[in-house]
This record gives sequence, C-alpha cells and structure tokens, in this order.
Amino acid sequence: MEDERIIQTKGLTKSYGPHVALDNLNISIPRGATGLLGQNGAGKSTFLKTILGLIQATSGEGTVLGFDIRTQGVDIRQRIGYMPEYDALNPDMDAIHQVRYSGELLGMNPVVAMNRAHEALQFVGMGEQRYREISSFSTGMKQATKLACAIIHDPDLLIADEPSNGLDMKAREFMISTLNTMVHDGQRSVLMASHLMDDVERVCENIILLHKGALAAQGKIEDLKAIDREIEIHVWGGATPLEQRLNDQGFRVRREGRVMRIAHTQEDTTTHILRAAAEVGAQIRRMHEYEASLEDLFLAIMDNLGYNVKSSEDLLRSPVEARRVDAPESMGGGGA
Amino acid sequence: MSENEQMAPEAPVTGQGRMDVAWGANTGDETVENMAQASTASSGQIFEQTYTPWRGTLNPRWMRNWAILRHHLLGIFRKGHRPWTMPTRIFILIAFLASLSDAGMTLLSGLVGSSEFHSLFGVSRDNLYGHVLGFFPRNVLYYPIVAALLVGSVISEDRQHGTSALYFSRPVSRFDYVGMKFLSVAIIQALVVLLSYILYFLAEVIAHGHGWAWMVDVFPMFLAGFIAGMILIFTYTSIGLSLSSVSTGRFFPGIGLLAIVFGTKTLASIVKNLFEREILYLISPYDCVAHVGQALIGTQTTYDQYSWTYSLVALVVMNALALYVLATRVASMEVTRE
Repeated sequence: MEDERIIQTKGLTKSYGPHVALDNLNISIPRGATGLLGQNGAGKSTFLKTILGLIQATSGEGTVLGFDIRTQGVDIRQRIGYMPEYDALNPDMDAIHQVRYSGELLGMNPVVAMNRAHEALQFVGMGEQRYREISSFSTGMKQATKLACAIIHDPDLLIADEPSNGLDMKAREFMISTLNTMVHDGQRSVLMASHLMDDVERVCENIILLHKGALAAQGKIEDLKAIDREIEIHVWGGATPLEQRLNDQGFRVRREGRVMRIAHTQEDTTTHILRAAAEVGAQIRRMHEYEASLEDLFLAIMDNLGYNVKSSEDLLRSPVEARRVDAPESMGGGGA
Repeated sequence: MSENEQMAPEAPVTGQGRMDVAWGANTGDETVENMAQASTASSGQIFEQTYTPWRGTLNPRWMRNWAILRHHLLGIFRKGHRPWTMPTRIFILIAFLASLSDAGMTLLSGLVGSSEFHSLFGVSRDNLYGHVLGFFPRNVLYYPIVAALLVGSVISEDRQHGTSALYFSRPVSRFDYVGMKFLSVAIIQALVVLLSYILYFLAEVIAHGHGWAWMVDVFPMFLAGFIAGMILIFTYTSIGLSLSSVSTGRFFPGIGLLAIVFGTKTLASIVKNLFEREILYLISPYDCVAHVGQALIGTQTTYDQYSWTYSLVALVVMNALALYVLATRVASMEVTRE
C-alpha cells in the first residue's frame, strides 16, 4: 500500500498552440505528502487542471487514484479535495453553510453534509467562528474554511494550492500542523503547491519540481538533498590560499568571507580539507556537514539548469520576468 | 442566617453579597497546600485537533444538480442558502403581489356580481395575454426588473468571488452548472409570472363557480398563455445570463438586460413612428415574444404586417446567440485562477 502511486503520468504534454505548457511529463507520486514546486509559468496550474480532468492533455496519459485523467475526470474530482489558492468563498454566506454546500456539490445529502461541515470546521480550528459571515473573516480563517470545503468528504488526496499564502506566523503554523495531522494521523495524501520552501519541507517527504513545463526534479527530499552535500568550515587565517589549494585539488568551493562550503563528493573529503589546511597554514576553527535546506536544493537544481539566481525568491517572486517565455539569459531564457 | 434567609426578599441589605463578589466568599482560612494545588490545577484542553474519517457514500449526478437548484431557490426564502440581496427578495414579493392584482379584481367581481367588472378583469383571451405579456405595467415594471435583479449576480459573482472553483473542482460539469443556474433563475421568475397566472385562473374558477366543462373549454387558451410565459422567461433568462457571464459585477448584467429589453423596443417604436416601417421590431426581444404570444393565444396581433413566424425565427436567433455567449464564457471559467 505504501508503494501505491496516487498520481502517475506518462509523456503528459499540453500545448496551447505553439506554447508547450506541459512537456512530456513522466511523474510518479507516492502516497503521503508531496510538494509541487516551480516558478510562475512553470506549468503547476496546468498540471493541476490536467490531473483534475478539467482540460484535455494534448498527448500522453495519466492516472489519479487509479482513474484515467482523460476519461474519468468526474470520478477523480469526487475523490480528491481541492483547495484553491485564490478566494473561492461567497463572502455573504456563513462558513458553516458554505462548507455544507461544498459537500452537497459532491453529492452528500444535506443532513450528512451539515454534520460533516461541523466536523471539518472543528478540525481546521474554526470553532464557533463557523457561524460568522465569511466577509468578516481574516485571511487565515478564509484559508481554513477553504480547507474545510476541500476535506468535507474525507478525500484520499488533498490538492492544496498555496495553502499558507498570505498567512501570519500563527495561522501559518496552524495550517502546517493541520496538513501534517491529515497526513500522519489521517493517513491521507497531500499534493501541496507552494513557493514557501520552508512550508513544503515541513509537510512533504517528496517534491516535484517543474520548470517551463518540464520535470526538473522529483523524488524524496532527503534523496535529492544528497546531490548537494557540502562540508562547511570556518577558517581563521589563510582562507584564500586554502580555497586556492582546494580548487587545485578539484574540489568545488563556495566561499563567503571566512566561511567555506566544499562539495562533499568523496568519502575522504574531510581528510583532504584538513591536509590542505595544514599545508597552507590555515586554522579550521569549525567543521561540520552542512545540511542543505530545500531552498539550497532548489537553487542547486536551478544552477544545474543554467540559472544564475541568488535565492528562490528572486525566481519565484518575479512573475513578470518568470512568466516570459523569452526570458533573458540571466533567467535561463534565450534572451530574445 | 442561612443562605435561603439571606436571599429572601425580606432579608436586610447588608452588603454581604457585594463584599463576596469584591473580595471573594472564602473565609481566608484555607490551607496553603490546597491553594497551591488549586493554582496548579489543569485548565483543561480547549481545542484538540482530531481528524475524523468519513465513510459515507456520495450520491450521483442528479443529487449534485439538485443541490445547485435547491441552493438558489431556497435562498429566496431563507438563510443558509444562496444569499440573494434583500432588495431582490423584496422586489420579487412586490412583483408577485402586484401580479395578483387581476386575480384579486376577479375575486372582487365575483363577490360584487358585476358582469361589467368581470368583463374588464375576468379570464378572457385578452386578459390571459395581458397577464403574461401585457407591456404596461407587467413588462415594464415587474417582469424584466425581476429578471434583471436575478441574473445580475448569478454567474458574474462566481467570477468575482472565485466561487466557480468551488463548482468545477467538484464533479460538476459546466453543462450542469449553467443548466441548474438557468433553471433556478427561470423557476424564480416562473413563481412570479406563471404561479400568479395559475392563481388568476383559479380565482376565476372559485369566484364564478365554473365547472369542468368551462375549464376544459378554456384550457387551450390557458395553455397558450402559459407557453407564452415560458418563452418570455426563457428569453429574459438566456439574455440575462449571457450578460452575467461576461461580467464580474451585478450592475452591468442587470442594467444591460433592461437596456436591451427597453432600448430595442424604444428604437423600434421610434423607427415605426418616423418611417412607418415596423420591421425593426424584430430586434426587440419583448416585441417578438409578444407577437408569438399573440399568435399562440389568438388575440389581435400588434405587428400584423408580418407573419408571427418572423418573430419566432428572430427569437430563436436571439436565444441561440445568447446561449452561445453563455456557453463560451462558462467554458472559459477557471478553477485555478481567473
């Protein structure tokens, strides 16, 4: 059961005229929590619409929970919960009635839908606020209500599009813990699209990284992090000769003042570093294996793709630049 | 003094109650251990997040469609469903009551026993036509405004608030979505136009004690008026919803529908008076429905220069165009973002 794939695609392609929105995607998502990453225009929304069976793929095939995305869209949408990124609530309705109606739209009878609406809103922490009009809600309460709408029928798979977007620290913590409770206590799967790497890392074990419609990386976060293992040292005196020596020995070194990170590519990397330090007379005051964050992983993958970005925020939060198909060379485009 | 005596109405006012509230009702002889214990007592867990699974069965398509229909229809009458605005609800009530004026007058004519009074307001070919398709006041003050208030927000607000995602991320097809919205708007209009029409007919039966023979005799005429009313409702709804689908507010679709209904009629009327050419009435939805309705019921047609089939064709074209716009716009509504 653990190995069962909730989403699988083979050669999934979606084109809008000459623009290829999804390019030959071969994706395999196991049960559990998976993060869907990618800059604006990477194809995340198109991917979500395709797996929901809302738009027809140009070519390729795929299944969600065992249902064909080309022919069984209704079955898929009945079994998944979708939490949209943007406002999707009627501001003039009470939360309890809005959630009940979302259950009725799935085919629940009104009495059952009302009972479940109470349970779902209680689960997302709305308590007595459920009787209030949505127009009076904060962003966090709206996000919680959207989540309740998505989980009212206890779906096997929750697709959450930017669930922590616009939330303050407290609300964000609660949203993350709620998603974690769903995954760990509820044994449900979550596909979470987000640009907040920290949130993805706290909820998900796996990631899918899309770039310009193509698959840039997929797999367990821990496994992917291994491609970017580094040893961090703090050097006192002789940092430049040490950097030079390590470069000469073929190590990839990143240096910021007295802090250096050396690619951990060999078993005896630490021995080489210590020996080089002894040879050039540099003091190593501190040495430890640097645990890459998802942010580092993202940057490493982007670096491999030929992007010169300083942080994921540069890339993810620059919609105008990132959306351009003919992005400048610094963004990895053709510079047209 | 016992507690009961203290609380009795005749008990003297000592201020003891206020003292108890201000300083606490304890004696001050509590043991320190007990106080320490009280201060460390657990305050209880207010919120415990527990995921509750659900193993129910989801009903098929007809139940989902019924949910959309019910949501819109019950919203007119009570809270917890689609929140129609208060002015909309009040106007629908006013239009319904005003539409019953001929039923009331028919009842009155039966009570008074005046045949002249009855000939003015009782059921007849012209009065049945007038109830549904009469221009003033019904198709000036009541029915188009009811339609405009209803269509003003029914799809446009789904775009505005993003609630289209609520429908399309669920197993609701676009055809079902737009079909149920259309049906709900049409049914609410039918409550005003056709329910009052039926009540008018029943008022005649009750007030004048007509028997089955009369009812069977008049039924074809009644049915023709009923069908004309359905055509009117269908036309107002399709034009109104197409306007609602191209907008993100409630003002434009409403005012747009009124502009089309009254603007085209006014234009046709001006051209007719200036150039004595009636043909432009074919661009007016109301005039076309009225012409077809007149032919169906069998009253004197207003535009007798032309066959009523011209109007029928014009109506088909208008509705087809409106439904095409509606279908195209609803097909482009997004789930992920607008």
